[in-house]
Amino acid sequence: MRRLLGGATLLGLAAGLVMGFVVAPRESTQGNVQRIMYLHVPSVWVAYLAFGVVLVASIVYLVRRAEAADQLAHASAEVGVLFTGLTIATGSIWGKPTWGTWWTWDARLTSVSILFVMYLGYLLLRGMIDDRERGARFAAVLGIVAAFNIPLVHFSVYWWRTLHQPPSLMKPGPGTMPGVIVAALLVNFAAFTLLYVYFVAKRARLLRLEAEAEA
Amino acid sequence: MPDNWGFVIAAYGLAAIVLIAYWRFLFRREKELDDARTVRQHLSQESGASEPLPAQTAQRGPLP
Repeated sequence: MRRLLGGATLLGLAAGLVMGFVVAPRESTQGNVQRIMYLHVPSVWVAYLAFGVVLVASIVYLVRRAEAADQLAHASAEVGVLFTGLTIATGSIWGKPTWGTWWTWDARLTSVSILFVMYLGYLLLRGMIDDRERGARFAAVLGIVAAFNIPLVHFSVYWWRTLHQPPSLMKPGPGTMPGVIVAALLVNFAAFTLLYVYFVAKRARLLRLEAEAEA
Repeated sequence: MPDNWGFVIAAYGLAAIVLIAYWRFLFRREKELDDARTVRQHLSQESGASEPLPAQTAQRGPLP
């Protein structure tokens, strides 16, 4: 099953690259640097998804004390931090030729940095507490509190004046992008979602094996 | 606007390095833990075989 998922993920990523570099045309305003969006936007989607899963799994853990829910939250947070870091890095690389700067303290960039630091803290907290059950309980509370930052990140472009443009895809109402660019983005969304599921499944299994070894 | 292919390659290259490095970490750690589990199972089977079964202990009767 995991091999099948791994194969599907690889195929999805290859299809995403073909869509992003071959099928999608050169964007008329930004030029080819816009192709970074096929990496940047699916990365932030996976970060939102991962932290959403952390929220749900943390609530389940606090209610039922199910170790599997704690392991899922831990695995998902780690993958979420990875993709948030990737979002920040690829956004910065895109920002230099487009905005003329690697970084600016605008609301979107600042709020996503806070999100990154909060979940990094979540992972550090788990590593700092020796008592597994206590660590899981504290992490679950932080996993719930930190999730309040997700809407703040997403809506920051509406609530404050920002250099970062509003969402082009993850918004209600009709889209304004050409169909082929939307298709390329959607293929990459699907591929990155598969990659997220693959990584989380593998990481959660490792956490289970580690718990078995310690028992 | 210039194409800035260097930035595109940098972004995709960085993503590839990070994702492959994380996959390698997961893969290696999984192998380590699977190997350790196999050794543990082997050891517990060996120690289980050398210990007498509860039924055999009961049949022996009281020690002198």
